[in-house]
Order: sequence, then structure tokens, then C-alpha cells
Amino acid sequence: MNFLSREATVAPPGFNRWLVPPAAISVHMCIGEVYGFSVFNVPLTQAGAGWTIPQVGWVYSIALFMLGMSAAAFGKWVERSGPRKTMVASCVCFCGGLLISALGVKLQMLWLLYLGYGVIGGIGLGLGYISPVSTLIKWFPDRPGMATGMAIMGFGGGALIGAPLGVKLMDHFHSATSLGVAEAFVAIACLYAVSMLFGAFLVRVPTADWKPDGWEPSQHVKPMMTNASVAVDVAWKTPQFWCLWVVLCMNVSAGIGILGQASKMCSDMFGVSAAVGGGFAGLLSLFNMGGRFVWSSVSDYTGRKTVYSIYFLLGAVLYCAVPWTQNIQNKTLFVAVTAVIITMYGGGFATIPAYLRDLFGAYQVGAIHGRLITAWSVAALLGPSLVNYISTARIEAGVPKAEAYNSTMFLMAGLLMIGLVANLLVRPVDPKHHVAETPRA
Amino acid sequence: MKTITLAIAWIWIAVPLGWGVYQSVQKSMPLFHGPSQPAAVSRPTP
Repeated sequence: MNFLSREATVAPPGFNRWLVPPAAISVHMCIGEVYGFSVFNVPLTQAGAGWTIPQVGWVYSIALFMLGMSAAAFGKWVERSGPRKTMVASCVCFCGGLLISALGVKLQMLWLLYLGYGVIGGIGLGLGYISPVSTLIKWFPDRPGMATGMAIMGFGGGALIGAPLGVKLMDHFHSATSLGVAEAFVAIACLYAVSMLFGAFLVRVPTADWKPDGWEPSQHVKPMMTNASVAVDVAWKTPQFWCLWVVLCMNVSAGIGILGQASKMCSDMFGVSAAVGGGFAGLLSLFNMGGRFVWSSVSDYTGRKTVYSIYFLLGAVLYCAVPWTQNIQNKTLFVAVTAVIITMYGGGFATIPAYLRDLFGAYQVGAIHGRLITAWSVAALLGPSLVNYISTARIEAGVPKAEAYNSTMFLMAGLLMIGLVANLLVRPVDPKHHVAETPRA
Repeated sequence: MKTITLAIAWIWIAVPLGWGVYQSVQKSMPLFHGPSQPAAVSRPTP
């Protein structure tokens, strides 16, 4: 029996299920580093190879694109191989990608960065992102929202760690002959490999018949929740899958539009310095992380459909309130409104695995989640493009910078309304799609 | 032994996450201190 195999990770009797969330978080908080990659952009342009910001920016875009594609492509393999093998594969790809990127910086070959951090590292992101999802749902059938929310909170937290760590490492390795970027990549690869392998070592899957003490599945079935199973190849052809795809895409498009432009938006709307704007972006990351845990935990009590309706309705109201906070020049209110918006952006990410579990069962939920993440890839292009395009067009049309974002906010509220309609259309999956007898995942 | 493993596992993730939160809060402090320049706003003319 291979140490990495699913069989080797089956938990012994008496195993404490609360060891699984830290295993998942230790992987997610490493791969979440991708959100902090922008701290390397300027130093990379100064590395002497004549690279420009748009050229370097492609590294991040390729990585996020590969995250979605690999999660979709390898979902079934992840379910078959189990969380430990997947976490090790994720570690090899993500940390290996960082090492290849370090070589690219040293040799001044941009294509090595695209290949290393972008393609190979991006595959590591996708594998790592979905690796613990179905395991957590099986360990916490009584609170799947909270369990997956914790892991996905770790991904949000990865930005809080990755960005300052990258800056501190570059400062540490900075010398007369080097900006310290390559050395920082190597150091991050080594540190993160330890953390990810710790998670892989710690993770366990429950036995097929395991359930929490005193918990009976039949007593906890709600109208939108099933105990049956749907295979991934069937699930993605159902209307429910595509409704949730639209739900995720709209929620992420709206949130990422603000998150990606937070620093500039704050500066433009309230006349604060770039440093203060950067602080605002950091604060939003904090609320993004917190929202992932809080909202997904709340969904265990309210149901997923209700919580997404709250995201969309409350979100739309708050987006429409943003121009008003700028109009009355109330910075504190602006921060409060955008902070709540961003908690719901994070909450949307964190609640989706539990929503999928409710509709399709736990059998191949990780693989189904992997395919749904393609919505994130689309949203990552759609959201920032909309904000950039509209605000730039408005400024060029003579609108003051401070007011240039108003129409964008109303558009984001419109996107949330589309998401609301898709959410309201979600119905339980037709039993004809259920697997006759739930196989062991 | 199980309790110690559990404690180590949670400390393992709590320390870096706590450090990240601290860095973020520290960086965001200037947002709540000092006056900001009023942004250029167009007002309807009477």
C-alpha cells in the first residue's frame, strides 16, 4: 500500500476530525499566495530584462486561468486518488513552479515565468484548491458549510501572508547585484513546501460508514438537500449546475471588480494617498477572509439558497450605496459598505461546495466543484475588465475621477440581480440523475 | 498525545494567519488617521 494512496489515508478508529481543517488550511493558505503575487510585479520590471508591467501581469492571469482549467480537468482524478496524493501533487507543481520562475528571473527568460508560476504553478493551485473539499464534506456532514468555509478562508488568508512575506524576503535578499526576487521565490517555495507537506501528512479520509456521534442523515434532510448521489459527468449536464455556475460567476465578477481596483478606487474617490489606498485593499482582504468562514457557517443554519439570496439582494443595495458614500464624502461609511460587500464575495466562494453537496451529494462533489470553478476563471476576466473599461471611458468623457465609478457600481448591482434570478431558479436535482447505489468515492 | 497533535496542527496555521492579519491591520491604520484631500466632485450648479 502506497503512503500516498487513498487507502493509506483512511482514518483509524477514534481519529479526531478536527485535525482535517488545519490540514486543508495549511495547503490553502500557501496556494492563496497567488493573490499576493502583485508585490513582485514592479521588482520584476526592474530586474534588468526590460520586462513591462503588462508582460509580467500575464504570469498572474495564466496562473488563475490554469487554476480553473486544472480543477475542471483533474477533478475526477482527485476524487479517485484521495486528498494526500493530490496535496503532494499540488505541492510539487506549485513549489516547483516557483523554483522554475526563480530560474527564469536569474536567466532573464520571461517564458520560464509563464511556464513555471503560470502553467505549472497554476495546475498546483487547481489541485490544491479542490483537494480537501470532498474530504471535509465527508468529515463534517453535519456542518459542511463551516468545514469547507474554513479551508477556503485559508485561501483568502494566503494573500494576507503571501504579500508581506514576499516584500520582507525581497528586502532580506536585496543586494548590489540582485533585487532579491529569485531568492524570494526559492525561499517561498521551500517554506510553502513544508507547510503543504504537513497538510498532506495530516489529512485523513473517513471510512465509508463513518458519521458523527448521534448524527443521523435521514433526520437532517432539508427540502434543498439530498442524501442521494450524482456523478460528475451527469451533474455538469443538469440545469442546477449551470444555475450555480451563473450564481458563482456573477457573485465573483461583482466582488473581484472592487477588490482588484480597491486601492485606486479609494484614492480616486476620497483623494487619499496611494499608501492609504493600499491599506484599504489590505483591509478588504481581511474581510474577504473573514466572510468566507462566517457566511458559509451561517449557511448551515439558513440553507444555501437563502444565504445566496442575501448576498445578491443586500449586495445590490450596498453597491448602489457606494456612490452615495462618495457624494457625502464619508470615508468610514465607504469602508464599512465595501467591507460588507467583500465579506459576501468571499462567502460566495466558500458556500458553493456545500451548495453542490446539497444538490448532488458528497460522492463526487470535489470533481463537480472543480468544473464549477471555471466560472471563477471567466469572472476573473469579466469583473476587472468591466470596472477598468467603464471607469476609464467615464474619465475620458470628462466625468470627475471621484464619480467615475458610480455607473460601475450600478452595473455590479445589475450583475448581482442576474445571479439572484439564477439562484431562485435552483431546484432539487431530478432523481433520474441519481446514482443507483452510492459507490465509495 | 491526540490533544497535543491537535494543538500543534492548529498553532501551525494560526501563527502565520495571525501574522498576516496583524500585517494587514497595521497597513490599514493610516486609513483611519489624518485628514484626506476632498476628491474632485462635480456639484449641480444652481
